[in-house]
Amino acid sequence: MAYDGNKRLTATNLSTMYGRITHNENARMKICFCTDMDKSVLLNNFEKRGWMQVTADDDWNFYWAGTQTCRNIFSVDSGYRMHDNQLINHFPNHYELSRKDLLVKNIKRYRKDLERDGNPLAEKVNDGGINGPKYLYLDFIPVTFVLPADYNMFVEEYRKNTQSTWIMKPTGKSQGAGIFLINKLSKLKRWSREAKTSFHPAIGKESYVISRYIENPLLIGGKKFDLRLYVLVTSFRPLKAYLFKLGFCRFCTVKYDTSVTELDNMYVHLTNVSVQKHGGEYNNLHGGKWSVQNLKLYLEGTRGKKVTEKLFGGINWLIVHSLKAVQPVMASDRHCFECYGYDIIIDNNLKAWLVEVNASPSLTSTTVNDRILKYKLIDNILNIVLPPEGIPDVRWNKVPSAENLGNFELLIDEELAAQTQDDNMLSGNMTGGKPRTNNRWK
Amino acid sequence: MDEIREGSIHHTALKFTEDIKQMKIYNNLYKTVQKLTCSPDVKNDDMKNTLEQAMKKHGLETEIRNIVFHLIRNSIKSEVKFSMQTNDPLNYLRRAGIQWERRVRKSLNTMCSELKTTLQGQLRKEQEKEELSNKWTELSNFQVDLSNYRPVYAPKDLLEVLVSLKGPAGANKDDGCSNDDVIPRWEFSHIALPVRNLQELRTVFSEILRNEMTLNDWSATCERILSTRHAPLCQQILKKGLTPILLRGKIWSIVLGSELEDHHNEYWEELKVNVLNTDSIVDKLVFKDVQLTATNDDQYFVFEDVIYQVMLCFSRDSEIADMIKTDWLNTSKLKQYETPQNNIVPFHGICMFAAPFCYLYDSPIALYYTFRAFYVRYCHRLTTINTHNQGIVSLCLLFEKLLQTHEPSLWSHFRELQIQPIRVVFKWLMRAFSGHLHPQELLILWDLILGYDSLEILSLLAIIILSFRKESLMQVSTIEQIEAVLADLSSIKVLPLVQLALSRD
Repeated sequence: MAYDGNKRLTATNLSTMYGRITHNENARMKICFCTDMDKSVLLNNFEKRGWMQVTADDDWNFYWAGTQTCRNIFSVDSGYRMHDNQLINHFPNHYELSRKDLLVKNIKRYRKDLERDGNPLAEKVNDGGINGPKYLYLDFIPVTFVLPADYNMFVEEYRKNTQSTWIMKPTGKSQGAGIFLINKLSKLKRWSREAKTSFHPAIGKESYVISRYIENPLLIGGKKFDLRLYVLVTSFRPLKAYLFKLGFCRFCTVKYDTSVTELDNMYVHLTNVSVQKHGGEYNNLHGGKWSVQNLKLYLEGTRGKKVTEKLFGGINWLIVHSLKAVQPVMASDRHCFECYGYDIIIDNNLKAWLVEVNASPSLTSTTVNDRILKYKLIDNILNIVLPPEGIPDVRWNKVPSAENLGNFELLIDEELAAQTQDDNMLSGNMTGGKPRTNNRWK
Repeated sequence: MDEIREGSIHHTALKFTEDIKQMKIYNNLYKTVQKLTCSPDVKNDDMKNTLEQAMKKHGLETEIRNIVFHLIRNSIKSEVKFSMQTNDPLNYLRRAGIQWERRVRKSLNTMCSELKTTLQGQLRKEQEKEELSNKWTELSNFQVDLSNYRPVYAPKDLLEVLVSLKGPAGANKDDGCSNDDVIPRWEFSHIALPVRNLQELRTVFSEILRNEMTLNDWSATCERILSTRHAPLCQQILKKGLTPILLRGKIWSIVLGSELEDHHNEYWEELKVNVLNTDSIVDKLVFKDVQLTATNDDQYFVFEDVIYQVMLCFSRDSEIADMIKTDWLNTSKLKQYETPQNNIVPFHGICMFAAPFCYLYDSPIALYYTFRAFYVRYCHRLTTINTHNQGIVSLCLLFEKLLQTHEPSLWSHFRELQIQPIRVVFKWLMRAFSGHLHPQELLILWDLILGYDSLEILSLLAIIILSFRKESLMQVSTIEQIEAVLADLSSIKVLPLVQLALSRD
């Protein structure tokens, strides 16, 4: 049976390779998916929809690919041209957002551009701190430099406050690999000497970012945590983005301790599940994951509704502006959508800081609840990226109906916002950010 | 008649005056009154009136009113005074209560002798004491060997005792009952405890159904009421089930009379020192219980360390023993067994009564006193066999009667399967749904418990959850399958369901 199906599909392949499928055919078309990843949350979702798995060489409608596969497909060399009924889960140059050094570069440029245009968003204040004026609205990433390129700038910053701790991260790696903390310039110097003479000359060159470490994270039950939020982008120009409401907090298993002796204990500092899993205290029933809804309940109960709303408004705000920062450089191909894993740390003043963005957030499930959550995530993503007929179609205006949003909420849809502005009707369904800023997202 | 009443009020007032003089806050109260008397507001020539005025202005009047409110509330015992009169049909229930209490105490004592330790425990070694003190805020990292410890009892043990209760009425029923095999003798209906029917519950919980206010006004109203600090008024707020999240902690502590005073901090330190100094078997049971429940619970695990502190201090708190002192607990039959200092034998899941409070209070001390007051007033009734009209036996009976009357098809379904309906809901009732509902919903449920000062809401919610899942329940036929249908309550919304339960025929 499967063989027959494939054969019929190959037949349609040829006829539709360069042409468009007519709507009549659409109605009868069975969706073919392709994936590099053997993840049950993906396969279960595709199967539930009655989709058929094909290989990358067949005509597929929906490809859930790894980032490398996606880059290959879009590379000039491959000569692959996608047709109207194809969707893929990455933008070709997602790394503008997901690589730590490029993200910083893009956000810095975004601020400068706004500042040059005299945009009120780029307003700066001098809070009397030793670090000079700060952006009033766009101060949402910790001070960061790319090493070794910005070494001199880093040293200048370092000397302003030699008491701070800094965190070193390799730009290309993820899941906490290669990360360490430093609190002395000498440690950095020693590291760079060692790196240069190592067997990997590439490491010494343009591959680390150094950021001011958030030393006053919000602690709950004495433990540090970060937020993992899922953000779906279906288009960069105009920007269309959605936030998944079922995000979670990832807790360290060990009590937070800033003392120097604990500086090298990564169980204290890093919240990555891949790091925490190796700790003796890891609990595989909950995996150290606590829902964002519970965080809200706790903060509202102990700190108040206003500050909690301000915090979550700030989170929406930083997501939207990080996306706007990469908007001009992103190749906004209509075949693409992408689900980003945002890592955010909250400090004890209830201010949110963007730590990094992952373009392929883990779809591995560590617990039962985790599997349910990720299954819903994929299901909800599919409902948003697919037109009402259920067949990928780049000609669709990418405005999902309210019931198809599922657990996602609209962060920003510039197209809709422009329309509503034209109608001179600022309706209340713009949920992103602080209400007063809606009209500034242009 | 009036004279008698007048006399009894006078008598009560005298008694309360004496009671207040014995309380820890009395010194502070007295000092404040002394200070007020010296203030220019109080005139020598009209001392009585001006002092009263000054006390009102200073908020002292409300404070004293609240103290009297709590005194009255706690001294009314709905439990009929224990007397071994032979004609009281509930005596067998009281005897069962004593037997149960004796059994769990005996079990704890046996555990002690098996492990060659005593309940008083022994002094900790200096090194261990220091380690415990250093790790006081991260007790999850305090290593304890728990391999030899197991919970003294679990909800199912109490359930087994309850379903096998046999009263005199039950015994009579057996006479010549031919279909004894068909109808299992597990119904609670033979127990002569008075429980309300739905009509009566509707009258009691009428506030839940009245929702004329818009939420905006409501929040402001709540803040205004809270600012009066008047306990009975604050209790009224909770009746709506729409308590603003931030105010909940404050409201609960006013309603339960557990607002923090200096003496609370001092006493907490005493309890803590007691934990640090002595090593008791109860500590191990606390650690075991937290590790078996809260540590693994994805709603509460982040609060693990706070829960350890709270439960350890709880075990040392002899004030609890005084608060839950009931006549029947003092019988000679029980005195032969030692008990923990708080007179409560810990059981599997006891820490889940404390866990929800972590969402309300950042400080373990504030958390502790409100939890303690809640435990003494409500949880204690859920974990002992008693004749209280809101004790666990009454709640089981209420559940059974409501199910029989309002869900006859489910009732007969259970009966055909020979499954006791109480079996599938007992753990909800005994834990007041903690660990079963999402915390947000659980706190609303507990708002209602406090607001109406009644645990009957638990039986009502249990019924409506069964009704809500009736279709699935009717399709399955084993207890395992029934439990699977009822396992996940994360989607349950308390307020709309309770409203539904109250408004149906």
